[in-house]
Amino acid sequence: MKQSILSINQVFKSFGRIQVLHGVSLEVQQGAITAIVGDNGSGKSTLIKILSGNLRPDRGEIQIGGRSYHGLTIPQAMDLGIRTVYQDLALDNFKNSVENIFLGSERMRGPFLDRRAMAEEARQLLEDIHVQIPDLTQPVNHLSGGQRQGVAIARALRRPGSVLLLDEPTAAMGIQESHSTLQMLSRLRERGMTQLIISHNLHQVFALADFIYVLRSGHIIAGAATADTTIDALQDLILRRESEVEEV
Amino acid sequence: MMKKWYSLLLAAAMLFSLAACGSSANVEGTPAPQESTPVVSATPAPEGEGADSGLSPTVQQLYQEFDAAMEAQIGTMPEQFGDIKVGAVVISLTNPFWVNMKNYYEAAGEEMGIDIDVQTGTTEGDTASQLDVLMTMADMDYDVIIVSPIDGTNLIPGIVKCNENGVKVINLGPGVDVDALEEAGGHLDATITVAFTEQGETVANDMISRLPDGGQVAILAGLAGAGQSEGRTSGAKSVFEATDNIDLVAVQNCDWDATLAYDATKALITEYPDLKGIFCCNDTMALAAVEALTAEGKEGVLVYGVDFTDDARAAISAGTMTGSMSYSSERYTKAALQMAVMLNEGETFENNIYLPLTLVTVDNVNDLEGWK
Amino acid sequence: MIALKRWCSRQSTSLLLLVVCLAMMVFLSIQTQSFFSLKNVVNILEANSYRLLLACGMMCIISSGAIDLSVGSILSFSAICTAMALKGGLSVGLSIPLALALGGIMGAINGLLIHFTRINAFIITLATAFLYRGLSLIATQGIPITKLPQGFRSFGCGDLFGMESGVTMALLVIVLLTPLFYHMRWGTYVTSLGGNPEALKRSGVPIGRYRVSVFVLMGVLSALAGIIVTARLNSAEANAGLNMEMDAICAVIMGGTALHGGRGNLPGTVIAVFLMGLIRNGLTILSVSSYYQQFITGAMLLCAVVIAEFRERKSRIG
Repeated sequence: MKQSILSINQVFKSFGRIQVLHGVSLEVQQGAITAIVGDNGSGKSTLIKILSGNLRPDRGEIQIGGRSYHGLTIPQAMDLGIRTVYQDLALDNFKNSVENIFLGSERMRGPFLDRRAMAEEARQLLEDIHVQIPDLTQPVNHLSGGQRQGVAIARALRRPGSVLLLDEPTAAMGIQESHSTLQMLSRLRERGMTQLIISHNLHQVFALADFIYVLRSGHIIAGAATADTTIDALQDLILRRESEVEEV
Repeated sequence: MMKKWYSLLLAAAMLFSLAACGSSANVEGTPAPQESTPVVSATPAPEGEGADSGLSPTVQQLYQEFDAAMEAQIGTMPEQFGDIKVGAVVISLTNPFWVNMKNYYEAAGEEMGIDIDVQTGTTEGDTASQLDVLMTMADMDYDVIIVSPIDGTNLIPGIVKCNENGVKVINLGPGVDVDALEEAGGHLDATITVAFTEQGETVANDMISRLPDGGQVAILAGLAGAGQSEGRTSGAKSVFEATDNIDLVAVQNCDWDATLAYDATKALITEYPDLKGIFCCNDTMALAAVEALTAEGKEGVLVYGVDFTDDARAAISAGTMTGSMSYSSERYTKAALQMAVMLNEGETFENNIYLPLTLVTVDNVNDLEGWK
Repeated sequence: MIALKRWCSRQSTSLLLLVVCLAMMVFLSIQTQSFFSLKNVVNILEANSYRLLLACGMMCIISSGAIDLSVGSILSFSAICTAMALKGGLSVGLSIPLALALGGIMGAINGLLIHFTRINAFIITLATAFLYRGLSLIATQGIPITKLPQGFRSFGCGDLFGMESGVTMALLVIVLLTPLFYHMRWGTYVTSLGGNPEALKRSGVPIGRYRVSVFVLMGVLSALAGIIVTARLNSAEANAGLNMEMDAICAVIMGGTALHGGRGNLPGTVIAVFLMGLIRNGLTILSVSSYYQQFITGAMLLCAVVIAEFRERKSRIG
């Protein structure tokens, strides 16, 4: 078995009186795609916010790079190599692809922005992940959903990182675009990129992921390597555990 | 439409006053130049002349005396004069007083055959934009510019520029700070204004004459630091303080504001139930004081204002207000234009010109139909 | 050729305004003798130098997705403090930095309040506008402070290259602001504050620092404008700068900066200030009543935003 690069242990989080995460634990293997599947309200967005440094857990720990943390800040998560592609993509719609890819990590020449170098690097990055954007100087609100996703991923990949977090990468996308996005992620795995994908669509990620965790009402109710199980077996497991959870 | 009406009226008034002027000079002789500014007494005039002019005999007499007093100060209007273009920079065109002044300026210009433009800054109190207007006008082809600055210093760079460009400058109304102007290397060619202290003194004297037994009096002043307010207040104050049986109990700034004056009056009357008279530095505040006194059920307190607005006229006629200081805005602008022409013809004015003032009271208000 | 076309389409607002400006200048030159004289051009520049400073600051504020209604109040209070310091015997060389610092502090208070309370900039600066204006009134009791030292006046409005020094200062600010806004990190982050502050935060940028810095810049520019106005009038008064924020906002929007922020247009803003100055000047020269000035400004602003909105929609569909 490969080595675990990121793991979380017994993480709890509540907002006021609403308990969102009830002691969630999971591991992310180096070079593999790990998926967390759950419905709306299962706590998966909270989980990704904790990992990306947007939220601090009430209890529990995050282990990364051989050290353990009780919570991260955004710059801390970035320094530790966690690269996040948010569900809303966190793009500045008025800026173009190049500016968005380099937002927060501009290349400079003296005190000035080195636009030429950034454009060249952005073109290269997008080419690497097979995203086609004819005009890089167009504001990103003129781009399609897939192109925007590409820009967000290119931004995450720009600086070397250890884990790529993707929150609902195919949400609000057509069949064609979902397909090419999934292909892109698969190619990234071939290049050795560790990924943690959050999705509500079990079918879609089953084919892609190496490990799947099922999150329901703040509990991990199932976890398995896709190579050892089938989608039907997993669904059975989910149904069985669901009734158990609901009884509790 | 309005303009036509004004000019017709003006023409009639002008004709009449000219005729009257001549006759009064014959009977009484030319008034000697006076050291202090003349106060026109507003006693009813003898009846008889000009019954069909639409003006009451009192107003006719007032105009006569006014014109005589002005002639003594300014001199006579030249019969013939060269082409002249006059500009006027006023304080605001959203304040009824200045809107009236603009109309009188234009009517007087039309009547005297003088080209006049009246300009102002964007909003009342916008000192910078008023200066911008004057700076622009200084480079245009005006011969004389009549300025009424928002405050003592805001137009100084513009006046200096006019001096440099050879444009004559007349200061009308609110005064330019002459020391500051001199320091900036500028000068005024003439000044025509109202003696604010005299307004206060006249009111105070009239109030005292109506209070033979003396008593407590108060002053409601305008905005602290505003020239009109300070002048009127100090004028009235000096008269009150020089009179033995008069006790000036309060001088309060109410910023020309009706609400503030209303509240101040209520507070005063509670504190001094025997208060006999209130002098307010403008009519807005005086009318508010009258309201407050009525609300308190207080009668017999003498209330004076300044400006003689239409509302004040009604209140004085009704007897709720005692009096208000007035002067003729129409004659004011006319005198300023006459000075502009004379300056352009090479005359000079050494001394400040002061406008004759009139105190309108319950005794003469009904004789003042048509006064403006 | 394509590059030129693209440049034209990006600068279309500025170009359109420039055309309107030129048309108006031609009209005024034909109608009047005094318009097209060097003196009058200098007049327009001098009368608008401080407005330009305020509009440049406001352009940064609006492109950061905020608004600042306290500009006129900051202008007046910093001017009054300077005048008081000068009257108290402080040297000109110390009073001017003091004024700028004070403007910066008042701006920082705005920025910090907005950042930490997360209350809308409109509300916060509306409140501080009253607050700062109140301080001015309390400090002066409504009485203008006049007769300032000659040294101060020559700094604020003395002759420089045949024009009031305010013009030079405005030019200097434009020259410094252009690279800062278009070619440096600061401008990128400031516009992103308006475009998507969450994206900026998630990129690890300390957004509070940039939010506050824009307001500090606005405060400093307001204070500088206050110095120019005070030096010109030789008087500092509590109601100086009244409604000047509205003129600035108007010029910024007319100049093609969207009110929701995310983008800024510095050349457009500069031309819009000039255009509004031209209207004021033209109306004075043509002896048209000031009543029309506000009407014309309103009509032009309306045209500018309607044109901008339709072009925006067209480009989104296209």
